[in-house]
Amino acid sequence: MDTLNDQSKICVNTVTKCFSSKQGEVTALKDLSLDIRDGEFLVVVGASGCGKTTLINMIAGFDTPSSGEVLLDGKPVTGITPECGMIFQQYALFPWKTVQENVEFGLKMKRIPKSERKAIAAKFIDLVALNGFEKSYPHHLSGGMKQRVSIARALANNPEVMLLDEPFAALDAMTRQVLQEQLVRIYEKHKKTIIFITHSIDEALLLSSRIAVMTARPGRIAQEIINDLPYPRNADVQLSDNYMALKRKIWDSVQAEVLKSMEVETG
Amino acid sequence: MDKENHSKKPVVISIFSLILFLVVWEIVCKGGLIDPVFMPAPSKIFARAVKLIGNGELMAHTFASTRRVMVGFMISSMVAIPFGIFLGSSRLFMAICDPFISLLRPLPSMSWIPLSLLWLGITETQKYSIVFMGSFAPSLLYIIEATKSIDPLLIRAARNLGASKLDVMREVILPGALPQIISGLKVMLGIAWTCIISAELVAAREGLGFMIMNGKEYFQTDTVMLGIVMISLTVMVIYVVLKKFERRLLPWTR
Ligand SMILES: Nc1ncnc2c1ncn2[C@@H]1O[C@H](COP(=O)(O)OP(=O)(O)OP(=O)(O)O)[C@@H](O)[C@H]1O
Ligand SMILES: [Mg+2]
Repeated sequence: MDTLNDQSKICVNTVTKCFSSKQGEVTALKDLSLDIRDGEFLVVVGASGCGKTTLINMIAGFDTPSSGEVLLDGKPVTGITPECGMIFQQYALFPWKTVQENVEFGLKMKRIPKSERKAIAAKFIDLVALNGFEKSYPHHLSGGMKQRVSIARALANNPEVMLLDEPFAALDAMTRQVLQEQLVRIYEKHKKTIIFITHSIDEALLLSSRIAVMTARPGRIAQEIINDLPYPRNADVQLSDNYMALKRKIWDSVQAEVLKSMEVETG
Repeated sequence: MDKENHSKKPVVISIFSLILFLVVWEIVCKGGLIDPVFMPAPSKIFARAVKLIGNGELMAHTFASTRRVMVGFMISSMVAIPFGIFLGSSRLFMAICDPFISLLRPLPSMSWIPLSLLWLGITETQKYSIVFMGSFAPSLLYIIEATKSIDPLLIRAARNLGASKLDVMREVILPGALPQIISGLKVMLGIAWTCIISAELVAAREGLGFMIMNGKEYFQTDTVMLGIVMISLTVMVIYVVLKKFERRLLPWTR
Protein backbone atom coordinates (compact mmCIF):
# COMPACT_ATOMS: atom_id res chain seq x y z
CA MET A 1 0.00 0.00 0.00
CA ASP A 2 2.76 2.40 0.98
CA THR A 3 4.80 1.66 -2.11
CA LEU A 4 1.76 2.27 -4.31
CA ASN A 5 1.24 5.67 -2.73
CA ASP A 6 4.88 6.50 -3.23
CA GLN A 7 4.58 6.01 -6.95
CA SER A 8 1.31 7.82 -7.47
CA LYS A 9 1.24 11.43 -8.55
CA ILE A 10 -2.34 11.89 -7.47
CA CYS A 11 -4.19 9.74 -4.99
CA VAL A 12 -7.93 10.10 -4.60
CA ASN A 13 -8.63 8.42 -1.28
CA THR A 14 -12.22 7.26 -0.52
CA VAL A 15 -13.69 10.59 -1.50
CA THR A 16 -17.37 11.31 -0.96
CA LYS A 17 -18.95 14.52 -2.19
CA CYS A 18 -22.47 15.64 -1.33
CA PHE A 19 -24.17 18.74 -2.66
CA SER A 20 -27.12 20.19 -0.84
CA SER A 21 -29.49 22.14 -3.01
CA LYS A 22 -33.13 23.22 -2.84
CA GLN A 23 -34.18 19.84 -4.18
CA GLY A 24 -32.37 18.12 -1.32
CA GLU A 25 -29.08 16.34 -0.85
CA VAL A 26 -27.28 14.88 -3.88
CA THR A 27 -24.43 12.44 -3.38
CA ALA A 28 -22.30 13.00 -6.47
CA LEU A 29 -19.39 10.74 -5.45
CA LYS A 30 -19.40 7.91 -2.93
CA ASP A 31 -16.15 6.47 -1.54
CA LEU A 32 -14.31 6.96 -4.80
CA SER A 33 -10.67 5.87 -4.86
CA LEU A 34 -8.30 6.31 -7.76
CA ASP A 35 -4.54 6.43 -8.18
CA ILE A 36 -2.84 8.25 -11.01
CA ARG A 37 0.83 7.49 -11.61
CA ASP A 38 3.39 10.01 -12.83
CA GLY A 39 3.41 10.28 -16.63
CA GLU A 40 0.13 8.48 -17.07
CA PHE A 41 -2.58 9.52 -19.54
CA LEU A 42 -5.72 8.58 -17.67
CA VAL A 43 -9.06 8.96 -19.39
CA VAL A 44 -12.20 8.90 -17.25
CA VAL A 45 -15.41 7.85 -18.99
CA GLY A 46 -18.86 7.71 -17.48
CA ALA A 47 -22.51 8.51 -18.03
CA SER A 48 -23.70 12.09 -17.90
CA GLY A 49 -24.18 13.32 -14.34
CA CYS A 50 -22.11 10.57 -12.72
CA GLY A 51 -19.74 13.07 -11.11
CA LYS A 52 -16.79 13.36 -13.52
CA THR A 53 -16.62 17.13 -13.30
CA THR A 54 -17.01 16.93 -9.54
CA LEU A 55 -14.01 14.59 -9.40
CA ILE A 56 -11.74 16.75 -11.56
CA ASN A 57 -12.79 19.92 -9.69
CA MET A 58 -11.65 18.34 -6.45
CA ILE A 59 -8.29 17.38 -7.93
CA ALA A 60 -7.87 20.99 -9.11
CA GLY A 61 -8.83 22.23 -5.64
CA PHE A 62 -11.88 24.17 -6.84
CA ASP A 63 -14.00 22.09 -4.50
CA THR A 64 -13.33 20.16 -1.28
CA PRO A 65 -14.47 16.59 -0.57
CA SER A 66 -17.23 16.04 2.00
CA SER A 67 -15.10 13.18 3.31
CA GLY A 68 -11.89 11.50 2.22
CA GLU A 69 -8.97 13.36 0.66
CA VAL A 70 -7.07 14.05 -2.53
CA LEU A 71 -3.29 13.80 -2.36
CA LEU A 72 -0.93 15.46 -4.81
CA ASP A 73 2.62 14.11 -4.45
CA GLY A 74 1.51 12.67 -1.11
CA LYS A 75 0.31 16.03 0.26
CA PRO A 76 -3.40 16.76 0.70
CA VAL A 77 -4.95 19.26 -1.70
CA THR A 78 -6.48 22.05 0.37
CA GLY A 79 -6.79 24.93 -2.08
CA ILE A 80 -6.54 25.70 -5.78
CA THR A 81 -3.46 23.97 -7.16
CA PRO A 82 -1.64 25.65 -10.05
CA GLU A 83 0.45 22.45 -10.34
CA CYS A 84 -2.64 20.99 -12.03
CA GLY A 85 -3.32 23.01 -15.18
CA MET A 86 -7.01 22.93 -16.02
CA ILE A 87 -8.48 23.02 -19.51
CA PHE A 88 -12.19 23.76 -19.60
CA GLN A 89 -14.78 22.70 -22.13
CA GLN A 90 -15.83 26.36 -22.43
CA TYR A 91 -12.18 27.46 -23.02
CA ALA A 92 -12.33 30.17 -20.31
CA LEU A 93 -10.01 32.51 -22.23
CA PHE A 94 -9.81 36.13 -21.07
CA PRO A 95 -11.72 38.05 -23.77
CA TRP A 96 -9.82 41.29 -23.06
CA LYS A 97 -6.43 39.69 -23.59
CA THR A 98 -4.85 38.83 -26.92
CA VAL A 99 -3.79 35.26 -27.69
CA GLN A 100 -0.29 36.10 -26.57
CA GLU A 101 -1.40 37.81 -23.35
CA ASN A 102 -3.63 34.83 -22.56
CA VAL A 103 -0.73 32.41 -23.03
CA GLU A 104 1.53 34.65 -20.92
CA PHE A 105 -0.97 34.91 -18.07
CA GLY A 106 0.44 32.22 -15.76
CA LEU A 107 3.98 33.51 -16.30
CA LYS A 108 2.87 37.05 -15.50
CA MET A 109 1.38 35.75 -12.25
CA LYS A 110 4.79 34.28 -11.44
CA ARG A 111 6.27 37.77 -12.05
CA ILE A 112 8.50 36.51 -14.84
CA PRO A 113 10.00 39.43 -16.79
CA LYS A 114 8.30 40.50 -19.98
CA SER A 115 10.95 39.48 -22.51
CA GLU A 116 11.23 36.02 -21.03
CA ARG A 117 7.45 35.68 -20.96
CA LYS A 118 7.26 36.59 -24.60
CA ALA A 119 9.83 33.98 -25.57
CA ILE A 120 8.07 31.20 -23.65
CA ALA A 121 4.66 32.19 -25.01
CA ALA A 122 6.03 32.21 -28.57
CA LYS A 123 7.25 28.65 -28.08
CA PHE A 124 3.85 27.36 -27.01
CA ILE A 125 1.89 29.38 -29.56
CA ASP A 126 4.16 27.69 -32.08
CA LEU A 127 3.49 24.29 -30.53
CA VAL A 128 -0.27 24.62 -31.07
CA ALA A 129 0.31 26.13 -34.54
CA LEU A 130 -1.25 29.53 -33.89
CA ASN A 131 1.58 31.64 -35.28
CA GLY A 132 0.24 34.82 -36.81
CA PHE A 133 -2.64 35.06 -34.33
CA GLU A 134 -0.61 36.40 -31.40
CA LYS A 135 -2.34 39.78 -31.50
CA SER A 136 -5.87 38.46 -32.09
CA TYR A 137 -8.55 38.63 -29.44
CA PRO A 138 -10.36 35.36 -28.55
CA HIS A 139 -13.69 36.36 -30.11
CA HIS A 140 -12.00 36.44 -33.51
CA LEU A 141 -10.99 32.77 -33.21
CA SER A 142 -12.86 29.56 -34.00
CA GLY A 143 -13.72 27.09 -31.23
CA GLY A 144 -10.81 24.82 -32.12
CA MET A 145 -8.36 27.71 -32.11
CA LYS A 146 -9.66 28.91 -28.75
CA GLN A 147 -9.12 25.49 -27.25
CA ARG A 148 -5.57 25.45 -28.66
CA VAL A 149 -4.92 28.81 -26.98
CA SER A 150 -6.24 27.36 -23.74
CA ILE A 151 -3.91 24.35 -24.08
CA ALA A 152 -0.95 26.64 -24.82
CA ARG A 153 -1.88 28.82 -21.84
CA ALA A 154 -1.90 25.81 -19.53
CA LEU A 155 1.35 24.39 -20.93
CA ALA A 156 3.21 27.71 -20.76
CA ASN A 157 2.63 27.66 -17.02
CA ASN A 158 4.50 24.33 -16.97
CA PRO A 159 2.12 22.36 -14.73
CA GLU A 160 3.05 18.86 -13.67
CA VAL A 161 -0.48 17.60 -14.27
CA MET A 162 -2.98 18.60 -16.91
CA LEU A 163 -6.69 18.25 -16.22
CA LEU A 164 -9.04 18.30 -19.20
CA ASP A 165 -12.82 18.22 -18.71
CA GLU A 166 -14.43 17.22 -22.02
CA PRO A 167 -12.20 19.72 -23.80
CA PHE A 168 -13.19 18.75 -27.34
CA ALA A 169 -16.89 18.04 -26.80
CA ALA A 170 -18.03 21.30 -28.39
CA LEU A 171 -15.86 20.91 -31.50
CA ASP A 172 -16.66 19.40 -34.89
CA ALA A 173 -15.32 15.90 -35.66
CA MET A 174 -12.48 17.06 -37.91
CA THR A 175 -11.15 19.71 -35.53
CA ARG A 176 -11.48 17.27 -32.68
CA GLN A 177 -9.30 14.72 -34.46
CA VAL A 178 -6.60 17.28 -35.17
CA LEU A 179 -6.56 18.40 -31.55
CA GLN A 180 -6.51 14.80 -30.29
CA GLU A 181 -3.41 14.13 -32.40
CA GLN A 182 -1.78 17.35 -31.14
CA LEU A 183 -2.52 16.40 -27.55
CA VAL A 184 -0.95 12.95 -27.96
CA ARG A 185 2.14 14.57 -29.46
CA ILE A 186 2.33 17.03 -26.56
CA TYR A 187 1.93 14.13 -24.11
CA GLU A 188 4.76 12.17 -25.70
CA LYS A 189 7.05 15.20 -25.93
CA HIS A 190 6.44 16.89 -22.56
CA LYS A 191 5.76 13.80 -20.43
CA LYS A 192 2.98 15.35 -18.39
CA THR A 193 0.56 13.44 -16.22
CA ILE A 194 -2.83 13.88 -17.85
CA ILE A 195 -6.37 13.33 -16.61
CA PHE A 196 -8.88 13.63 -19.39
CA ILE A 197 -12.66 13.35 -19.13
CA THR A 198 -14.85 12.33 -22.02
CA HIS A 199 -18.14 10.74 -23.04
CA SER A 200 -16.57 9.15 -26.08
CA ILE A 201 -15.14 5.64 -25.86
CA ASP A 202 -13.25 6.14 -29.12
CA GLU A 203 -11.64 9.28 -27.76
CA ALA A 204 -10.69 7.37 -24.63
CA LEU A 205 -9.09 4.58 -26.68
CA LEU A 206 -7.21 7.00 -28.94
CA LEU A 207 -5.64 9.02 -26.16
CA SER A 208 -5.24 7.05 -22.97
CA SER A 209 -2.63 4.87 -21.42
CA ARG A 210 -5.30 3.80 -18.94
CA ILE A 211 -9.06 4.12 -18.79
CA ALA A 212 -11.23 4.44 -15.69
CA VAL A 213 -14.94 3.75 -16.12
CA MET A 214 -17.20 5.43 -13.56
CA THR A 215 -20.42 4.01 -12.19
CA ALA A 216 -23.74 5.83 -12.34
CA ARG A 217 -24.34 8.37 -9.58
CA PRO A 218 -23.17 8.22 -6.85
CA GLY A 219 -19.94 7.88 -8.79
CA ARG A 220 -17.24 5.36 -8.05
CA ILE A 221 -14.69 3.68 -10.28
CA ALA A 222 -16.40 0.65 -11.87
CA GLN A 223 -13.42 -0.63 -13.80
CA GLU A 224 -9.87 0.31 -14.70
CA ILE A 225 -8.47 -0.84 -18.02
CA ILE A 226 -4.89 -0.60 -19.23
CA ASN A 227 -4.74 0.66 -22.80
CA ASP A 228 -1.50 -0.65 -24.32
CA LEU A 229 -2.32 0.06 -27.95
CA PRO A 230 0.76 1.43 -29.70
CA TYR A 231 1.05 5.19 -30.39
CA PRO A 232 0.37 6.81 -32.84
CA ARG A 233 -3.09 5.34 -32.91
CA ASN A 234 -3.71 5.68 -36.62
CA ALA A 235 -6.28 3.94 -38.79
CA ASP A 236 -4.35 0.63 -38.69
CA VAL A 237 -4.52 0.53 -34.91
CA GLN A 238 -8.18 1.55 -34.92
CA LEU A 239 -9.05 -1.39 -37.16
CA SER A 240 -7.03 -3.94 -35.17
CA ASP A 241 -8.67 -6.76 -33.22
CA ASN A 242 -7.07 -5.46 -30.06
CA TYR A 243 -8.83 -2.11 -30.43
CA MET A 244 -12.16 -3.79 -31.05
CA ALA A 245 -11.78 -6.07 -28.05
CA LEU A 246 -10.97 -3.13 -25.76
CA LYS A 247 -13.84 -1.13 -27.14
CA ARG A 248 -16.27 -3.97 -26.51
CA LYS A 249 -15.00 -4.36 -22.94
CA ILE A 250 -15.43 -0.66 -22.13
CA TRP A 251 -18.73 -0.44 -23.93
CA ASP A 252 -20.19 -3.31 -21.89
CA SER A 253 -19.09 -1.68 -18.68
CA VAL A 254 -20.36 1.80 -19.62
CA GLN A 255 -23.63 0.45 -20.99
CA ALA A 256 -24.42 -1.35 -17.75
CA GLU A 257 -23.90 1.88 -15.84
CA VAL A 258 -25.93 3.99 -18.25
CA LEU A 259 -28.81 1.54 -17.94
CA LYS A 260 -28.53 1.66 -14.18
CA SER A 261 -28.62 5.47 -14.17
CA MET A 262 -31.71 5.45 -16.39
CA GLU A 263 -33.43 3.05 -14.02
CA VAL A 264 -32.68 5.37 -11.15
CA GLU A 265 -34.14 8.30 -13.04
CA THR A 266 -37.36 6.59 -14.17
CA GLY A 267 -37.91 4.47 -11.07
CA MET B 1 -24.31 55.92 -53.94
CA ASP B 2 -27.53 54.70 -52.45
CA LYS B 3 -25.86 54.09 -49.12
CA GLU B 4 -24.44 57.61 -49.02
CA ASN B 5 -27.86 59.07 -49.58
CA HIS B 6 -29.23 57.05 -46.73
CA SER B 7 -26.61 58.23 -44.28
CA LYS B 8 -26.57 61.88 -45.37
CA LYS B 9 -30.25 62.58 -45.64
CA PRO B 10 -31.13 62.48 -41.93
CA VAL B 11 -28.28 64.89 -41.10
CA VAL B 12 -29.47 67.35 -43.75
CA ILE B 13 -33.02 67.11 -42.44
CA SER B 14 -31.81 67.66 -38.87
CA ILE B 15 -29.86 70.77 -39.82
CA PHE B 16 -32.81 72.09 -41.79
CA SER B 17 -35.24 71.56 -38.92
CA LEU B 18 -32.88 73.33 -36.51
CA ILE B 19 -32.55 76.35 -38.85
CA LEU B 20 -36.30 76.47 -39.36
CA PHE B 21 -36.84 76.42 -35.59
CA LEU B 22 -34.40 79.32 -35.07
CA VAL B 23 -35.94 81.35 -37.92
CA VAL B 24 -39.48 80.95 -36.57
CA TRP B 25 -38.27 81.83 -33.07
CA GLU B 26 -36.52 84.96 -34.42
CA ILE B 27 -39.58 86.07 -36.38
CA VAL B 28 -41.92 85.54 -33.45
CA CYS B 29 -39.68 87.61 -31.16
CA LYS B 30 -38.93 90.36 -33.67
CA GLY B 31 -42.63 90.65 -34.51
CA GLY B 32 -43.17 91.78 -30.92
CA LEU B 33 -45.35 88.79 -30.10
CA ILE B 34 -43.24 87.93 -27.06
CA ASP B 35 -41.81 90.24 -24.39
CA PRO B 36 -37.96 90.10 -24.76
CA VAL B 37 -37.59 89.72 -21.00
CA PHE B 38 -39.74 86.62 -21.19
CA MET B 39 -37.91 85.15 -24.20
CA PRO B 40 -35.15 86.91 -26.16
CA ALA B 41 -34.61 86.36 -29.91
CA PRO B 42 -31.81 83.94 -30.95
CA SER B 43 -29.92 86.89 -32.45
CA LYS B 44 -29.91 88.60 -29.04
CA ILE B 45 -28.56 85.43 -27.37
CA PHE B 46 -25.93 85.18 -30.09
CA ALA B 47 -24.93 88.82 -29.58
CA ARG B 48 -24.60 88.16 -25.83
CA ALA B 49 -22.46 85.13 -26.61
CA VAL B 50 -20.14 87.20 -28.81
CA LYS B 51 -19.80 89.80 -26.07
CA LEU B 52 -19.10 87.29 -23.30
CA ILE B 53 -16.67 85.34 -25.45
CA GLY B 54 -14.93 88.65 -26.28
CA ASN B 55 -14.36 89.53 -22.62
CA GLY B 56 -13.49 85.93 -21.74
CA GLU B 57 -16.33 85.48 -19.26
CA LEU B 58 -18.16 82.68 -21.05
CA MET B 59 -15.07 80.50 -21.30
CA ALA B 60 -14.13 81.23 -17.68
CA HIS B 61 -17.58 80.12 -16.44
CA THR B 62 -17.64 77.04 -18.68
CA PHE B 63 -14.15 76.09 -17.63
CA ALA B 64 -14.96 76.58 -13.93
CA SER B 65 -17.98 74.26 -14.09
CA THR B 66 -16.17 71.68 -16.21
CA ARG B 67 -13.22 71.65 -13.86
CA ARG B 68 -15.47 71.16 -10.84
CA VAL B 69 -17.32 68.28 -12.49
CA MET B 70 -14.10 66.63 -13.61
CA VAL B 71 -12.28 66.91 -10.28
CA GLY B 72 -15.30 65.80 -8.23
CA PHE B 73 -16.11 63.01 -10.63
CA MET B 74 -12.52 61.77 -10.86
CA ILE B 75 -12.20 61.59 -7.09
CA SER B 76 -15.53 59.81 -6.84
CA SER B 77 -14.60 57.27 -9.55
CA MET B 78 -11.12 56.72 -8.18
CA VAL B 79 -12.60 55.77 -4.83
CA ALA B 80 -15.66 53.97 -6.19
CA ILE B 81 -13.87 51.67 -8.68
CA PRO B 82 -11.46 49.91 -6.29
CA PHE B 83 -13.95 50.02 -3.43
CA GLY B 84 -16.74 48.65 -5.62
CA ILE B 85 -14.58 45.82 -6.95
CA PHE B 86 -13.58 44.97 -3.42
CA LEU B 87 -17.17 45.00 -2.15
CA GLY B 88 -18.38 43.05 -5.17
CA SER B 89 -15.92 40.25 -4.50
CA SER B 90 -16.28 40.01 -0.72
CA ARG B 91 -19.57 39.05 0.85
CA LEU B 92 -18.39 40.01 4.32
CA PHE B 93 -17.46 43.59 3.43
CA MET B 94 -20.60 43.94 1.34
CA ALA B 95 -22.66 43.00 4.39
CA ILE B 96 -20.78 45.51 6.54
CA CYS B 97 -21.16 48.39 4.09
CA ASP B 98 -24.61 47.60 2.71
CA PRO B 99 -26.67 49.64 5.23
CA PHE B 100 -24.62 52.78 4.63
CA ILE B 101 -24.79 52.49 0.86
CA SER B 102 -28.53 51.88 1.05
CA LEU B 103 -28.97 55.01 3.18
CA LEU B 104 -26.76 57.20 0.97
CA ARG B 105 -28.15 56.14 -2.37
CA PRO B 106 -31.63 57.71 -2.27
CA LEU B 107 -30.30 61.12 -1.15
CA PRO B 108 -30.39 63.75 -3.92
CA SER B 109 -27.13 65.72 -4.08
CA MET B 110 -29.15 68.90 -3.49
CA SER B 111 -29.82 67.80 0.08
CA TRP B 112 -26.09 68.00 0.83
CA ILE B 113 -25.73 71.62 -0.26
CA PRO B 114 -26.69 73.34 3.04
CA LEU B 115 -24.53 71.01 5.11
CA SER B 116 -21.57 71.37 2.74
CA LEU B 117 -21.88 75.16 2.91
CA LEU B 118 -21.84 75.02 6.71
CA TRP B 119 -18.81 72.77 6.75
CA LEU B 120 -16.78 74.13 3.87
CA GLY B 121 -18.17 77.57 2.96
CA ILE B 122 -18.51 78.82 -0.63
CA THR B 123 -15.27 77.16 -1.73
CA GLU B 124 -14.06 74.94 -4.52
CA THR B 125 -13.80 72.04 -2.07
CA GLN B 126 -17.49 72.47 -1.35
CA LYS B 127 -18.28 72.18 -5.08
CA TYR B 128 -16.16 69.04 -5.42
CA SER B 129 -17.84 67.54 -2.37
CA ILE B 130 -21.31 68.07 -3.88
CA VAL B 131 -20.27 66.29 -7.08
CA PHE B 132 -18.68 63.55 -5.00
CA MET B 133 -21.72 63.04 -2.75
CA GLY B 134 -24.06 63.05 -5.72
CA SER B 135 -22.17 60.52 -7.81
CA PHE B 136 -20.33 58.28 -5.34
CA ALA B 137 -23.11 55.99 -4.06
CA PRO B 138 -24.75 55.37 -7.46
CA SER B 139 -21.31 54.79 -9.07
CA LEU B 140 -20.46 52.33 -6.36
CA LEU B 141 -23.66 50.37 -7.00
CA TYR B 142 -22.97 50.26 -10.75
CA ILE B 143 -19.48 48.94 -10.09
CA ILE B 144 -20.63 46.31 -7.59
CA GLU B 145 -23.19 45.05 -10.12
CA ALA B 146 -20.57 45.01 -12.89
CA THR B 147 -18.21 43.07 -10.63
CA LYS B 148 -20.81 40.43 -9.89
CA SER B 149 -21.52 39.87 -13.57
CA ILE B 150 -18.06 38.38 -14.20
CA ASP B 151 -18.12 34.75 -15.35
CA PRO B 152 -16.90 32.73 -12.31
CA LEU B 153 -15.21 30.30 -14.70
CA LEU B 154 -12.74 33.05 -15.66
CA ILE B 155 -11.90 33.60 -12.00
CA ARG B 156 -11.33 29.86 -11.60
CA ALA B 157 -9.13 29.79 -14.67
CA ALA B 158 -7.05 32.70 -13.35
CA ARG B 159 -6.65 31.13 -9.91
CA ASN B 160 -5.68 27.85 -11.57
CA LEU B 161 -2.95 29.73 -13.44
CA GLY B 162 -1.50 30.94 -10.15
CA ALA B 163 -3.28 34.29 -9.70
CA SER B 164 -3.67 35.50 -6.11
CA LYS B 165 -6.96 37.05 -4.98
CA LEU B 166 -5.51 40.50 -5.58
CA ASP B 167 -4.29 39.45 -9.04
CA VAL B 168 -7.80 38.24 -9.82
CA MET B 169 -9.25 41.65 -8.94
CA ARG B 170 -6.71 43.48 -11.08
CA GLU B 171 -6.37 41.09 -14.00
CA VAL B 172 -9.85 39.55 -14.27
CA ILE B 173 -12.54 41.49 -12.42
CA LEU B 174 -11.43 45.00 -13.37
CA PRO B 175 -11.02 44.42 -17.13
CA GLY B 176 -14.01 42.09 -17.23
CA ALA B 177 -16.26 44.65 -15.58
CA LEU B 178 -14.77 47.63 -17.42
CA PRO B 179 -17.30 47.87 -20.28
CA GLN B 180 -20.14 47.93 -17.76
CA ILE B 181 -18.27 50.26 -15.40
CA ILE B 182 -17.71 52.73 -18.22
CA SER B 183 -21.33 52.75 -19.33
CA GLY B 184 -22.35 53.27 -15.70
CA LEU B 185 -19.89 56.14 -15.29
CA LYS B 186 -21.25 57.81 -18.41
CA VAL B 187 -24.67 57.95 -16.77
CA MET B 188 -23.02 59.22 -13.59
CA LEU B 189 -21.26 62.01 -15.47
CA GLY B 190 -24.68 63.39 -16.45
CA ILE B 191 -25.66 63.28 -12.78
CA ALA B 192 -22.41 65.03 -11.82
CA TRP B 193 -23.37 67.92 -14.10
CA THR B 194 -26.76 68.15 -12.43
CA CYS B 195 -24.97 68.31 -9.08
CA ILE B 196 -22.60 71.11 -10.01
CA ILE B 197 -25.21 73.29 -11.68
CA SER B 198 -27.49 73.02 -8.65
CA ALA B 199 -24.59 73.84 -6.33
CA GLU B 200 -23.67 76.86 -8.43
CA LEU B 201 -27.27 78.05 -8.58
CA VAL B 202 -27.36 78.08 -4.79
CA ALA B 203 -24.00 79.64 -3.99
CA ALA B 204 -21.00 80.36 -6.22
CA ARG B 205 -18.81 83.14 -7.58
CA GLU B 206 -18.27 81.63 -11.02
CA GLY B 207 -19.45 78.79 -13.22
CA LEU B 208 -22.34 78.33 -15.64
CA GLY B 209 -24.85 77.93 -12.81
CA PHE B 210 -23.65 81.20 -11.32
CA MET B 211 -23.84 82.89 -14.73
CA ILE B 212 -27.46 81.80 -15.13
CA MET B 213 -28.42 82.93 -11.63
CA ASN B 214 -26.61 86.24 -12.05
CA GLY B 215 -28.31 86.82 -15.42
CA LYS B 216 -31.64 86.28 -13.73
CA GLU B 217 -30.83 88.89 -11.05
CA TYR B 218 -30.36 91.53 -13.78
CA PHE B 219 -33.30 90.34 -15.91
CA GLN B 220 -30.81 89.40 -18.64
CA THR B 221 -32.84 86.54 -20.08
CA ASP B 222 -30.38 86.25 -22.97
CA THR B 223 -27.57 85.47 -20.50
CA VAL B 224 -29.78 82.88 -18.81
CA MET B 225 -30.58 81.23 -22.15
CA LEU B 226 -26.92 81.35 -23.20
CA GLY B 227 -25.96 79.58 -19.98
CA ILE B 228 -28.50 76.82 -20.62
CA VAL B 229 -27.33 76.32 -24.20
CA MET B 230 -23.71 76.31 -23.04
CA ILE B 231 -24.35 73.54 -20.47
CA SER B 232 -25.93 71.44 -23.17
CA LEU B 233 -23.08 72.02 -25.64
CA THR B 234 -20.37 71.34 -23.05
CA VAL B 235 -21.91 68.04 -21.95
CA MET B 236 -22.30 67.03 -25.60
CA VAL B 237 -18.65 67.74 -26.38
CA ILE B 238 -17.53 65.81 -23.29
CA TYR B 239 -19.57 62.78 -24.40
CA VAL B 240 -17.97 62.81 -27.84
CA VAL B 241 -14.49 62.96 -26.30
CA LEU B 242 -15.43 60.20 -23.88
CA LYS B 243 -16.62 57.94 -26.70
CA LYS B 244 -13.22 58.19 -28.38
CA PHE B 245 -11.56 57.42 -25.07
CA GLU B 246 -13.86 54.47 -24.44
CA ARG B 247 -12.85 52.79 -27.71
CA ARG B 248 -9.20 53.14 -26.69
CA LEU B 249 -9.86 51.59 -23.30
CA LEU B 250 -11.82 48.62 -24.66
CA PRO B 251 -9.90 47.45 -27.73
CA TRP B 252 -11.23 43.89 -27.50
CA THR B 253 -14.85 44.94 -27.96
CA ARG B 254 -14.14 46.22 -31.47
N1 LIG C 1 -22.74 22.83 -7.32
C1 LIG C 1 -23.62 21.81 -7.32
N2 LIG C 1 -24.72 21.89 -6.56
C2 LIG C 1 -25.62 20.88 -6.54
N3 LIG C 1 -25.51 19.75 -7.26
C3 LIG C 1 -24.42 19.62 -8.05
C4 LIG C 1 -23.42 20.64 -8.13
N4 LIG C 1 -22.47 20.25 -8.99
C5 LIG C 1 -22.86 19.03 -9.42
N5 LIG C 1 -24.01 18.64 -8.85
C6 LIG C 1 -24.71 17.36 -9.07
O1 LIG C 1 -23.76 16.33 -8.93
C7 LIG C 1 -23.93 15.35 -9.93
C8 LIG C 1 -22.65 15.14 -10.69
O2 LIG C 1 -22.37 16.30 -11.44
P1 LIG C 1 -21.13 16.44 -12.41
O3 LIG C 1 -21.19 17.78 -13.03
O4 LIG C 1 -19.90 16.09 -11.68
O5 LIG C 1 -21.43 15.32 -13.50
P2 LIG C 1 -20.64 14.97 -14.83
O6 LIG C 1 -20.28 13.52 -14.76
O7 LIG C 1 -19.53 15.92 -15.04
O8 LIG C 1 -21.77 15.17 -15.92
P3 LIG C 1 -21.59 15.60 -17.46
O9 LIG C 1 -21.06 14.41 -18.16
O10 LIG C 1 -23.01 15.90 -17.88
O11 LIG C 1 -20.70 16.76 -17.50
C9 LIG C 1 -25.08 15.80 -10.79
O12 LIG C 1 -26.24 15.09 -10.40
C10 LIG C 1 -25.26 17.26 -10.47
O13 LIG C 1 -26.61 17.62 -10.52
MG1 LIG D 1 -19.13 17.46 -16.50
